[in-house]
Amino acid sequence: MAVPVKTQELPMIKKIRNIPKEEMYVPGHRTCAGCGPALQYRLVAKAAGPNTIFLGPTGCMYVANASYLCTPYRVPWMHTQITNGGAVASGIEAAYQVLIRKGKWQGELPNIIVMAGDGGSVDIGLQAMSAMMYRGHDALFVCYDNESYANTGIQTSPMTPYGANTTFTPPGPNIPEGKKLFPKDPPQLVIGGHPAVKYVATASVAYPVDLMNKVRKALNVKGPTFLHIQAPCPKGWKFPENKTIELAKLAIQTGMWHIYEWENGEYKYQHTPKEYKPVREYLKLQGRFAHMTEAHIAKMQAFVDAKMKAPGKPVEIPLPMPRE
Amino acid sequence: MAKEMMMSGCAASAQAAKLAKVEVACSYPIRPYTALMMELAKMVANGELDCEFIHGEGEHAQLSVVFGAAAAGARALTGSSGVGVTYAMETYSPIAGGRVPLQMMIADRALDPPGDFGSEHTDAMSTRDQGWILGWAETPQEALDNSLINYRVGEDHRVLLPQMVCQDGYFVSHIPGPVVIPDQAQADEFLPPYKLPHPLDPHHPVSHGPQIRPDQGTIMDMQRAQAMLDAPKVIKEALADFGRIFGRKYGMIDQFMTDDAEMVFFIQGAHAFTARHAIKHLRAKGLKIGMVKLRFVRPWPTQEVAEALSKFKAVGVVETSTSYGGAMRGGNLLHEVRASLYECPQRPLTTSFMAGLGGEVIPLHEFYYMADVMSKMLKLGKSEKTVYWTGFESE
Amino acid sequence: MFNIPKEKAVPLGCITPAPVTEQPMMITGNWREYRPVIDNEKCNLCMSCIVYCPDACWQLNEAEDEPVWNAKYCKGCLICVNECTSGALTKAYELDFEDGVVRLEKPF
Repeated sequence: MAVPVKTQELPMIKKIRNIPKEEMYVPGHRTCAGCGPALQYRLVAKAAGPNTIFLGPTGCMYVANASYLCTPYRVPWMHTQITNGGAVASGIEAAYQVLIRKGKWQGELPNIIVMAGDGGSVDIGLQAMSAMMYRGHDALFVCYDNESYANTGIQTSPMTPYGANTTFTPPGPNIPEGKKLFPKDPPQLVIGGHPAVKYVATASVAYPVDLMNKVRKALNVKGPTFLHIQAPCPKGWKFPENKTIELAKLAIQTGMWHIYEWENGEYKYQHTPKEYKPVREYLKLQGRFAHMTEAHIAKMQAFVDAKMKAPGKPVEIPLPMPRE
Repeated sequence: MAKEMMMSGCAASAQAAKLAKVEVACSYPIRPYTALMMELAKMVANGELDCEFIHGEGEHAQLSVVFGAAAAGARALTGSSGVGVTYAMETYSPIAGGRVPLQMMIADRALDPPGDFGSEHTDAMSTRDQGWILGWAETPQEALDNSLINYRVGEDHRVLLPQMVCQDGYFVSHIPGPVVIPDQAQADEFLPPYKLPHPLDPHHPVSHGPQIRPDQGTIMDMQRAQAMLDAPKVIKEALADFGRIFGRKYGMIDQFMTDDAEMVFFIQGAHAFTARHAIKHLRAKGLKIGMVKLRFVRPWPTQEVAEALSKFKAVGVVETSTSYGGAMRGGNLLHEVRASLYECPQRPLTTSFMAGLGGEVIPLHEFYYMADVMSKMLKLGKSEKTVYWTGFESE
Repeated sequence: MFNIPKEKAVPLGCITPAPVTEQPMMITGNWREYRPVIDNEKCNLCMSCIVYCPDACWQLNEAEDEPVWNAKYCKGCLICVNECTSGALTKAYELDFEDGVVRLEKPF
């Protein structure tokens, strides 16, 4: 019996003037003004087009988008638990494989995209994400990274940067830096241990054409793919809501975020700055880092420097600092 | 032609899945239900069943996978036992409230702590508030039959609920019993293809499960309550149709030797099998005793239970599950039996017997003990105790 | 059957229709304190406002080659003003406009 295989080849967007016009993520959602994750959702949906099914694990891109009893998704969408985005997506993909094979559904295998936050990707959702990557389902897992559990009022997640003030990592005399731990590295988690995965990439709302092309590239791949998209959060990071894109660019310019692709074992880098700005340029614009001392900033700079030597490769975490 | 074979409950459940042409199954190993998935894997590998067989990463994932598959429009099946059932707990309400029918076969196993492979009903019983259709099989034949019946009921557009089809671990799941395997033609006549009103389909976009306000939550709850109010009618239609097509007549409750009974065992699951034999022996000794067997815990057949039990003078509820701290400090069934009988002008004396816990057999002499207690209760005209821990009472 | 008034109804299984061009159950135009104002003479069609709006409130009018603003949904985040490469976009106080922010009669 024939196994349905995606034959689509979503074309790469060459010029910003030629981005697809259709909105698949329409106006009318309760996300904060200036919301980075909302913007990336809009761009991902635009790139994916109408033959798409989104999964929405609980998080900002569920609750804020879907309040109340309505959503901005023009394509089919299903709420999942924060724990199981990857698993529900796997089931939908399996269903479409068999429904198409049996002739019960006509069409190209739909794009199946999990839209999970950092928590739903590499914390509570890690198991399901990893299993989806392992089993080789033809689906895309997007981790929109606003570096916290934002929807519940900004709590630390494994993607919260060192030194960030969150409601679970408030700075105080006992813990001057607030957040002591360094974040996980989601693309490396996926690349390092999932033989069925052929394409992993990072992206940012700062570079929307790059983001959309990576979405299309990932969707064109026949198998599981993973995108890690930085999406600045004005409320969580404490910056004015008109500076979302400015901060996203600064993250890249200071080495706090790297834009790259990994395809069949090869790394390619995009938008690599010729010269990196000091990380304090990035930190000083965000209220969540306002309490950091020079020692903390130095530690952050050391971490960023180590990452720059080989973006995408695992780095050594600096040893804990002695307390001042 | 329908053929009869000796097979275990797990194998019979696999046959049901084959007859139902299950399209997506999600496995994860845990004793004692695993054999269901092993059978399905073989069927898929040798082309007997065209089904996507997904290796889930855990029980919570199993339920999540089949939830997605069913929401997309495929007939989906999973299963588990014991703590696997409770691990998936988060998913049960979303699936039932999302009105996505799918089936979960549960081969019961006592809950930890610690590890105990024997059968208790508490694993599935502890999910009974989540809004699923829930019921037990007595034999491997019933495991197969209940599965087909549950697909039919759950997928009916007047119900649209997921179903837990339970069988005692080992007693039913592993010990072979006679099973008549129906024809595919019979199954096709009984069970229409899987069809959801609003599946996840790019041709007809919908949003499944947006956030709601608290006042809307009440309405959601009422919808779900309505489904359980509507389900018994659909169940009875399905049971009647089942009897017509397959020749086996079942009710929401079944009665055995109750025509002139003064006292009955009220029971569900594997131990009903032993109870039948105990009843025959006790009858031979002149005791007017029978059995009322429960097929569905959810929806609870309130009317049927009230009508049936109010005809007897004494009811001994056999409890193979625990409800620590419950009103009777015993199991789960007595509470609902008493609630069913509360408004009846004629009410039997009722008591309960904790038996078969941990996965133990309920030997014939324990049933004789229960009958003895009921006889004494009748003589006394009241129930001295509401919970007897069978085998451990001092007398 | 429960007696649920029509205005309180929730779709079965909480499965709601998908929107097509906008979601009118969540109108957000009354959030803003400032609105972006465009001087089309200065606009160089860099597309930044159109691409960077999380709420898709700038759309390209192909015939006129002009970005068109969506007053109904714009939250006034002013990312567009911040990212505008030509200075065509500036911000203005919402209540300076006759059609300035209208309070909803009731929340949501």
